[in-house]
Amino acid sequence: MKNFTYYRPKTAEQAVALLDDKWGTTELLAGGTDLLDLQKEYIAQPDKVIALRDVGINQLRLDGVDKKPDDFILGAGMTLAEIAAHGGLKEAFPALTTAAGDIGGPQIRNMGTLGGNLCQRNRCWYFRDEHTPCLLKGGDKCFAIDGENRYHAIFTQGHKCVIVNPSTLAPVLIALRATAEVLGPKGKRKLKLADFFHAPSSASEREHVLKPNELVLTVTIPYPKLKNASYEVRHKQSYDWPLVQAAVAFQYADNKATDVRIVLGHVAPTPHVADAAAKALEGKEVTEATASAAGEAAAQGAMPLSQNAYKVKLVSVAVKRALLTAAGRKKYWEV
Amino acid sequence: MATSWPKKRRLIGTKIQRLDGPVKATGKAKYSYDINRPGMLHAVLLRCPHAHAKIKSLDAADAEKMPGVKAIYAIKKAGEELYWAGEEILGLAADTEEHALDAVRAVKIEYEVLPHIVKEEDALKEDRKTVSPVGGKRDNVLAAKDAADDAFDKGMTDAAVKVEGSYGVPVVCHQCLESHGLVAEWGEDGGLTVWASTQAVWGTAVELARYFAGKYKIDLPAEKVKCITHYMGGGFGSKFGPDIQGLVAAELARTAKAPVKLMLDRASEIVAGGNRPSAYGKVRIGATKDGKITAYEVDCYGTPGVGVTDTVTFNALPYVYPIAYKRKHTRIRTNAAMQRAMRAPNHPQNCTLTEFILDDLAAKLGMDPLQLRLKNLPQNDAEKAKIAPHSLDALKNTIYTREIEIAAALSKWKEKWHPPGKTDGVVKHGIGMALHTWGGQASPQSNECTVTIHADGSVVARTSTQDLGTGQRTVTALVTAEILGLEPGQITLEFGESTFGASTGSGGSTTIPSQSPATLRAATAARDDLFAKVAPKLDAKPEDLIVGVEGKILDKAKNKPWTWKEICARLDKEQAKGTGFWNYGESIKPDNRDVSSSGVGGVQIAEVLVDTETGVVRCTRIVAVQDCGMVVNPLTCESQVAGGVIMGLNYALFEERIMDRATGRMVNPDMEFYKLGGIEDMPQIVVHLHDMPERGVIGVGEPPVISTHAAIGNAIFNAIGARVGQTPFTPERVLAALAAKGGKR
Ligand SMILES: Cc1cc2nc3c(=O)[nH]c(=O)nc-3n(C[C@H](O)[C@H](O)[C@H](O)COP(=O)(O)OP(=O)(O)OC[C@H]3O[C@@H](n4cnc5c(N)ncnc54)[C@H](O)[C@@H]3O)c2cc1C
Ligand code: SF4
Repeated sequence: MKNFTYYRPKTAEQAVALLDDKWGTTELLAGGTDLLDLQKEYIAQPDKVIALRDVGINQLRLDGVDKKPDDFILGAGMTLAEIAAHGGLKEAFPALTTAAGDIGGPQIRNMGTLGGNLCQRNRCWYFRDEHTPCLLKGGDKCFAIDGENRYHAIFTQGHKCVIVNPSTLAPVLIALRATAEVLGPKGKRKLKLADFFHAPSSASEREHVLKPNELVLTVTIPYPKLKNASYEVRHKQSYDWPLVQAAVAFQYADNKATDVRIVLGHVAPTPHVADAAAKALEGKEVTEATASAAGEAAAQGAMPLSQNAYKVKLVSVAVKRALLTAAGRKKYWEV
Repeated sequence: MATSWPKKRRLIGTKIQRLDGPVKATGKAKYSYDINRPGMLHAVLLRCPHAHAKIKSLDAADAEKMPGVKAIYAIKKAGEELYWAGEEILGLAADTEEHALDAVRAVKIEYEVLPHIVKEEDALKEDRKTVSPVGGKRDNVLAAKDAADDAFDKGMTDAAVKVEGSYGVPVVCHQCLESHGLVAEWGEDGGLTVWASTQAVWGTAVELARYFAGKYKIDLPAEKVKCITHYMGGGFGSKFGPDIQGLVAAELARTAKAPVKLMLDRASEIVAGGNRPSAYGKVRIGATKDGKITAYEVDCYGTPGVGVTDTVTFNALPYVYPIAYKRKHTRIRTNAAMQRAMRAPNHPQNCTLTEFILDDLAAKLGMDPLQLRLKNLPQNDAEKAKIAPHSLDALKNTIYTREIEIAAALSKWKEKWHPPGKTDGVVKHGIGMALHTWGGQASPQSNECTVTIHADGSVVARTSTQDLGTGQRTVTALVTAEILGLEPGQITLEFGESTFGASTGSGGSTTIPSQSPATLRAATAARDDLFAKVAPKLDAKPEDLIVGVEGKILDKAKNKPWTWKEICARLDKEQAKGTGFWNYGESIKPDNRDVSSSGVGGVQIAEVLVDTETGVVRCTRIVAVQDCGMVVNPLTCESQVAGGVIMGLNYALFEERIMDRATGRMVNPDMEFYKLGGIEDMPQIVVHLHDMPERGVIGVGEPPVISTHAAIGNAIFNAIGARVGQTPFTPERVLAALAAKGGKR
C-alpha cells in the first residue's frame, strides 16, 4: 500500500474541502471494505485518505434511519448490517433488506456502508490486477472482451469497458425510485439513483457520475407502498456475488401491476433498467405466465460476450422469480 | 520381538477429543505465522509478472536504499529466463512488512517478454515450445504414453453396448488456509532454527542443513538445524521441505544477521503454493447387455504446469474396476507453476475418467448404477489371501461390497434412486455414487517416538512428527495412554521439533501407520523399563506387574493394586524410558503383521438438488463410508473424512484456476473468484467408518477426498438425465447440458 495522509474531518463540508477535483489523489474512506483492498493491490494509490466516520454523527445525518411520514432517509454511513436488520425497512422494502443481507459475509456487512456500496469500484479481475494495464487503468485495451469474461456484461452495446456494476443495492434503489443527496464544494444537490451510475471507459472516470470532490450524504426512498423484491442467481450461496440480479417494484391493486419498474444487476456496466419488461407487465396480474413473459422481455437486446451467454437465460429467470416474490406468489423454486 | 496391539483396547477405537482443540479455538496455539522473534525482519518475494520472459537487466540499488531495507537476495540474474507468472526473482527483508513491500517495488527490472502458453488446448493446437528445456527440448506437448491390455480389442468388439463421453477436471490450487512460509533465525553457535509451516519437520531440517553446509562450506550438522512446527494450518501435499521461501528467508537472515519472517500472501499462496494438475479425456466403454464391462479406453491429457509428471495415475486407468484397457496420456507443459502433490495425487483425476462413464453406461443399459458397480467389482485375490489375508487385494470384493451396502442403507438408495432425469418439477433431486482406493502404509524411512516416565508420574511422549490438523498429536497421546493405563490428557507431548527424533513427511497418508506403531513400541518399552526398575522396590517380579483396569498397576502374584503415582514414585531419582521406531520394512515382517498395513476402499453417495432454470446445484447430503483398518480415534478420523468430503465438494462445484490467454496470468488468485464453498453451501455429511481392527492401522488423510466430486457429478446426471462432464459444475455448464439434451429430443 502506498503511504498516504489520513484525515478525520468533523463535518461533511470539511471532508469535501479536503477532496481534490480530479480522481486518484484523494479518496473517501467509509467502511474500507473496498478501498483498503484496492490500496493493498496498488489499484488505488491516494495521497490523502479522508475518513467519514466522524461526519456521520453531526447534523448532516449520515447515520441512522429517520422515518418521516412518507420517505425513508438513509444516511450514507449506515452499515449494510444495519440496513438489513432494520424492522421498518424490512416491512416497507424487503427488496432492499434482502439485498443488503445477502452481501458478502457478516464482516463485510458490519463494516460496509450504503455510500461505499454505491460508490465501490467494479470487480473485473483485470481491473483488480495491478499488472494488467486495461482501459480503466490508463491502458489502451479491454482485456475482458476477448478474454475471461464469464462474469462480465451481457448488455454490451456501445461499451468499450464491459464491467458489471457490482452494487446489488443500486438496482433495488433505482426500482424504488430513490434519490441521493450529494454534497460538493458548491453545496448540496439531489440526484436520482437512476441517473447516479455511469459506464466508465478510462482512468479518469468512475462507475458513477459524482465529481471527485462530491460525497453522498443520504439516500431517500419515497414510500408509496410498492410491492418490491430482489432475486439473485448465485453460484455459491455463501459469500459470493450474484451472476445476475433482478430488482422489481410496482403498485398492485385489484390484481393489476402498475407503475412497474424492473432493474437488472450484474448484466451491464450500470444497473440496467429493463423498460421492455416493465411494459410487458404493466396493467396485468402477476402470474407465472406474465412474470415469465416479462422475464423474456427483460433479456431482449442482450449482446453477450464469448463466455457469458448463459446469463441471458438467468435474466429471464431472475425477473420472473423477483416478480412472483414481490406479488407474494408461491416460490415454486424452493423445495 | 514381535509387536502387536493389545487384544483388549480401552481407548483405541473410542472418540477422544482433540487435545489441542482448546488452544486452537482460543488462539493460544502459535502457528508459524504467529511467531515473532526479537529484532525480526519481514521478507517478501519479487515475482515475475509475465508468463514467460527473460530478464534483460536487474537493478536493486534503489531498493537497497529504501527505508528499513536490511538484506536482498537475488534468486535470478540478468540473462535468466522465467517460465511462469509468479516465478520468484528476488527476496528482500526490511524492518517492517510495509517497508519490504514498498522497497521490492523499487527494484528495477527490464524484461524481454517471450511467448507463452497457459491453456492446454492452445498447446494442442500449436506447440510453441514456450517452456523450460528438459533434455534440451522445450516442447509443450510431450510424447504420449500408451498401453493396452491383450484382451482389449476382443472386449470392445464383443461389447453389445458401447458408450463414450468426454470428462475433465481443471487445475485447482491447494489454497492452504495458513499460507506457506516460516521464520528463520541463525543462532550464535552458527545453528539455524526455523518455525516453518511444513508437513515434513524432520525433512525440512535435514534439507536446510544439507543446502547451507554445501553452499557455504560450513560445518552444519543436522542437529544444529532445528525445524519447529507445533501447529500447522494445512498443507495437502504442497508443503514438503524448505521450499524456495525457506531458502530465501534463511539466506536473508544470514545476510542481515537477524531473524526473518517470510509468509506468502494469499495471491502468492494460490499462484505459487501448489496445484493439482488437470485431466481431460475421451473415454469409451463396452459392456454386455446385462452389464458386465468388457473394455475401457481412455485418451487423456493434462498439464503439470512447467513440470513434466503425469497428471493421472497411468497404471490405474480404469480406476478401481479391473477391465481390459487401452490407455493413452499426454502431458502438456504450460507456463504456470509446477503441479505439486495434492491430497491423493492423481486419484481424483482417475476417478473422473472412470466413475462418470459408469453411470452413463448404466443409463444406456437401463440399470441401477449401484448394481452395475457391484457387478464389476474386483474379486478377492485368493493367492494374496494365502500370504496376506488382511491385505486389500485379498479383501477387495468383500470390502467394497460391504461398503456399498452400508452406504446404500445410510443414503436410502433404494427409495431415492430413480432413472436419470425422471422426476418432475423445476428443482430436481438426484443421487449418485462413486468409489475410490488408496494405499496408506507405513513410510519406508523410520519414524521414532520416545516415551519417558518420571517419578512424579508424569509421562512425556516425544516425536518430531507434525500434526497438520489431522489429530496426530491426540493419537500419539492416545496410544501412549492406552499402553500405560492413563488418560490421553495425562500425557505431555513434545511434538513437532526436528530434534525429537526421526520422522517422515506427512504424505501418502503414511503418518498414522508409521507413528502409532512407533508410539506403541515406545510406550510398551517405557512400561517394561518402569516395571523392571520398580519391581525390586515393590518386592515383585517385573513380569508379574501389569496395567490393570482403571489405571491401576497390578501385582498379579499378590493380587495387589498400586496407583500409577505410587508405582512411579518408586523410580525415585531415575526415570523409565522407551524408544520405538516403525517403517514399512517392520510392517511386513511376519512377526509384526497387522500392526499397520496398507490399502483401503471407500464409497461415497451424494444427493443434489438441481435448479433446472438457473443451473444452480446444491449438494444436500453426502454419505461417506471409509475403511482404514483399525480406527485409532474415531473422532479425528471422522473429521478427516468430513474434511476430505468438503474439499471434494469444492472440487465438484466451485474450484478452478482460471488462466488468461493473453496475459498468461491467473485471473482469480484470491478467495473471491477462486470459489470455495461456505457454510450455506455445505451438505449434511454422514461419515461411517468401516472399522477393521484386524487389519492394523492404515492412513486415511487422502482417500476421502477422491470420489466426492464424482458422486456429485453422478447425482447431477441422475437429477437431470444429462451429463455435465467437466468440473466445476457451474450453472453455466448445467444449463448447457440441459440445453444439449433438450436439443437432442
Ligand atoms: C466477498 C465480497 C462479496 C461482496 N458481495 C457484494 C454483493 O453481493 N453486492 C454488493 O452490492 N456488494 C458486495 N460486496 C461489496 C461491498 O458491498 C462493498 O465493499 C461495501 O459496500 C463498500 O462499502 P464501504 O463502506 O466499505 O466502502 P469503502 O471501501 O470505504 O469505499 C468504497 C468507495 O466508495 C467511496 N465512498 C464511500 N463512501 C462514500 C460517500 N458517502 N460518498 C462518496 N463516495 C464514498 C470511497 O471513496 C471508495 O472509493 C462484496 C464485497 C466482498 C469483499
Ligand atoms: S472490462 Fe473494463 S475493467 Fe475489465 S478489462 Fe475491460 S476495460 Fe478493464
